[in-house]
Amino acid sequence: MSGVSSAAYFARRAAQKERVRILYRRALKDTLNWAVHRHIFYRDASDLREKFNANQDVEDVDRIDKLIAHGEAEYDKWRHPDPYIVPWAPGGSKFCRNPTPPAGIEIVYNYGQEDNP
Amino acid sequence: MALRNALLRHLRVPVTVRGSKQSPIRFIRAFSSHDDHLSKQDVVDRVLDVVKSFPKVDPAKVTPDVHFQKDLGLDSLDTVEIVMAIEEEFKLEIPDKEADKIDSCSLAIEYVFNHPMSS
Repeated sequence: MSGVSSAAYFARRAAQKERVRILYRRALKDTLNWAVHRHIFYRDASDLREKFNANQDVEDVDRIDKLIAHGEAEYDKWRHPDPYIVPWAPGGSKFCRNPTPPAGIEIVYNYGQEDNP
Repeated sequence: MALRNALLRHLRVPVTVRGSKQSPIRFIRAFSSHDDHLSKQDVVDRVLDVVKSFPKVDPAKVTPDVHFQKDLGLDSLDTVEIVMAIEEEFKLEIPDKEADKIDSCSLAIEYVFNHPMSS
């Protein structure tokens, strides 16, 4: 019984840790979107890291869930309306712009000389 | 007979014979700029530079197969920061699930090297 519950407990903690990591990653990218100049970004990134570090020793699973939900709500509130996305990635400006042409299509380089082969 | 030949000359499609220009290997021109791939040594050097310039890391310990949390003593949030720095260095966009799995230098180097758009 305790073996099963501790496995479930660890699974839950691992899922929470993954949520925290993904939340930190998104929040950091968002900070970079808002604070373009590097010196401002470093300051804001340090503040964000302090906020995450302040809660890192919490052991109670429900409290951790609440903190993560609170953090995700804050992230949603602060999301940038026009984030920088790498052009070829989904959401970027070059995504699906030039699909690869079907195979077998070639250019015959004889401009101006079509009449005399 | 002459009439037949004249008609056929009109109807036949002219065949372009490119004698000297025809090489045995036909070069199909690609419509993208995907032929500038990074070399493995380049990728290794740049990834190691990124990791060494992280303030919480001791540069002497960094090798191409070092694990961020076990060998360098970093936090999981530090790993996230390093992955973001690597994304910025190689102009990549790594999806969240993939970025979560990158835990060591060797995984990072492999991912960047195998990504078609790293530059």
